[in-house]
Amino acid sequence: MTNRLKSTRSITRKVDRVKNLAFIIAMVLLVTTLLLDIFVIEMIFDLLTYLYIALGLLFVRYGIPLLYASRRLIQYYWQRAIKNKLAVGGLVFILLLILLAFIGPLFTVDPTAVNFDEKNLPPLGFTIEESVYKIETKQFITSRITGTSEHPLGTDDKGRDLLAMIVSGTRVSLQVGLFATGIAIILGTLIGVSAAYLGGKTDNILMRFTDIMMTFPFFLLLVFIVFIFGPNLALIVIVIGLTGWTGTARLIRSESLSLRTREFVMASKALGASDRRIILSHLIPNVISLIIVIATLSIPGVILAEAALSFIGLGDPSVASWGMILKAGQQNLDTTWWVAVAPGIMLFLTVLAFNFLGDGLRDAFDPRSNI
Amino acid sequence: MTEAILRIRNLRTYFFTRRGIVKAVDGIDFDLRKSECLCLVGESGCGKTVTALSILNLVDSPPGRVVSGEIYYDSLNLLKCPPDQIRRIRGKEIAMVFQDAQSALNPVFTIGDQIAEQVKLRPEVNQREAKEQVINLLKEVGMPIPEKMIGYYPHQLSGGMRQRAMIAMSLSGDPQILIADEPTTAVDVTVKGQILDIFSQLKSTRQMSLLFITHELGIVSEIGDRIMVMYGGKIVETATVSELLNNPKHPYTISLIKCLPDITQVMGRLESIPGTVPSLINPPSGCLFHPRCDKAMAVCSKEEPPPFIVAEGRTVFCHLYSRPER
Repeated sequence: MTNRLKSTRSITRKVDRVKNLAFIIAMVLLVTTLLLDIFVIEMIFDLLTYLYIALGLLFVRYGIPLLYASRRLIQYYWQRAIKNKLAVGGLVFILLLILLAFIGPLFTVDPTAVNFDEKNLPPLGFTIEESVYKIETKQFITSRITGTSEHPLGTDDKGRDLLAMIVSGTRVSLQVGLFATGIAIILGTLIGVSAAYLGGKTDNILMRFTDIMMTFPFFLLLVFIVFIFGPNLALIVIVIGLTGWTGTARLIRSESLSLRTREFVMASKALGASDRRIILSHLIPNVISLIIVIATLSIPGVILAEAALSFIGLGDPSVASWGMILKAGQQNLDTTWWVAVAPGIMLFLTVLAFNFLGDGLRDAFDPRSNI
Repeated sequence: MTEAILRIRNLRTYFFTRRGIVKAVDGIDFDLRKSECLCLVGESGCGKTVTALSILNLVDSPPGRVVSGEIYYDSLNLLKCPPDQIRRIRGKEIAMVFQDAQSALNPVFTIGDQIAEQVKLRPEVNQREAKEQVINLLKEVGMPIPEKMIGYYPHQLSGGMRQRAMIAMSLSGDPQILIADEPTTAVDVTVKGQILDIFSQLKSTRQMSLLFITHELGIVSEIGDRIMVMYGGKIVETATVSELLNNPKHPYTISLIKCLPDITQVMGRLESIPGTVPSLINPPSGCLFHPRCDKAMAVCSKEEPPPFIVAEGRTVFCHLYSRPER
């Protein structure tokens, strides 16, 4: 029996050890390529790609097992959520957007191709009158320009195809929305659950830190950082993610506080579970519904933040985000109105879709509402 | 006499609250012997559960703290164990069954998953073997159709089945000692009998030591070997079950037994002990029971009664039994 007591082998499951090892190797590989990229060779991928791969790995290692563990809960809530027509509409719209972001660029022309022969074309089905000064005849002639099916949404003042720009903007906006929210949710959940579970001093330190972060004007910080380091989409995503977790942390903490005192946490401890295990496999699966709602509702805010940043001219000029197109279009709103209207409508619909979905999910997750 | 597997000496667990220090467990000593069932009996709030939690180092801190004492498992003092080592002991050497299986099972996992947690920790066990072991454990606790039940969530089970799952979960680490904290309180009478049967079966098949916490003397007579009566954070009487039930010595035990309804006789009102459980923040001086005791003497309010060994293996903390010597 003394041998049993003295065994120093760490209590980790075999499966978990294999998974952990694979995860660590993948992460190390990623960081090495990143370092190689920065210091030795020219960039293979840009910074954002690394961020995506890292978040993707995290999701595969922790996100999928978590979702799988709480599959019954999710299934149950799913059945409640699909009774809300608006939420389903929102979800369908979001899925279409994601599809558009992935396969759209394959079907559209190059969004950066400049063609001054075809500038300021109106959308298909619209006709505008334009006065053109003809050098040969030395007089203004009014010509009627009709939208063509080659450029269904028209072109901007440099002759770039608006549809292609919108499609590539979809990609940017979704990337920003999903990944900044991803970072914020991971941080917020870990900080919130840890604060609630560990309690005492740790709780105090973490929550005061959250308070300090909350008082920080994040948009100002964003402007400041863009000013110093230059406009870079990856940087913007990281900054939004690193500053946007505070509300999540608070909500998750208050939810976990009541979970912590539940007997199954004590029972799990009495059977020898570690703190890490209790947090990851007992607390987080129980707050997963809240996490999903917070994530859905905070994505539109992030998308708008990026658009606003682009709009005031601090966005990444190398990518055509909706905010950038909007900004370019609003200067000529009286003549080429379609340039600003198209991204505006897209922003409006996207934000609305996420909000509808989020509201629907919140109602579905609320045990007091009777759907 | 068989050897003691768990020895508790002078255990004091206090809770430091704003209103004062609550002496939930105040200096108790006892031995748990190999493959015996030791029952810990007392009213609500007398420190039974805190005793159990202290053994596993699970007292919420703050506000609680084990201020003194030693708990020896084998030759290891559990109170001086580093957290990592005590974690290895929980579940594997000493496991605990909780009172309310409804809340002690995680609502988002199937019971199969929850029982498998501990089983999968063993390095030599693969997925399929783990499942088999879970089914065997469920069979052992008398769960009907265990192959099907492992896919069920706690809320889909009846109270009795949940309690069985809870017991199976605590057995999953193959512990030497099982602490059962009022495992029959949340289930109805018919199930209660079945659960008790499981425990006595486990005791004989697994050679386990049981520390059975309860407030019902009726249960004790069915399952217990020895019994300890606790009052106000202290042990007042220790005896074998038959001796204690037939010949109680301490006035508190006597009144407890009087409170048991007797179905063979038509009675009026049930007996009850006058007064209430003493406040553990501001306990009465001397013997804690003296304000409610009908045999109280002058000395009772002044001096704390020392242990009097009235027979072999029989200890009573009461001044009544000191008189003959004086």
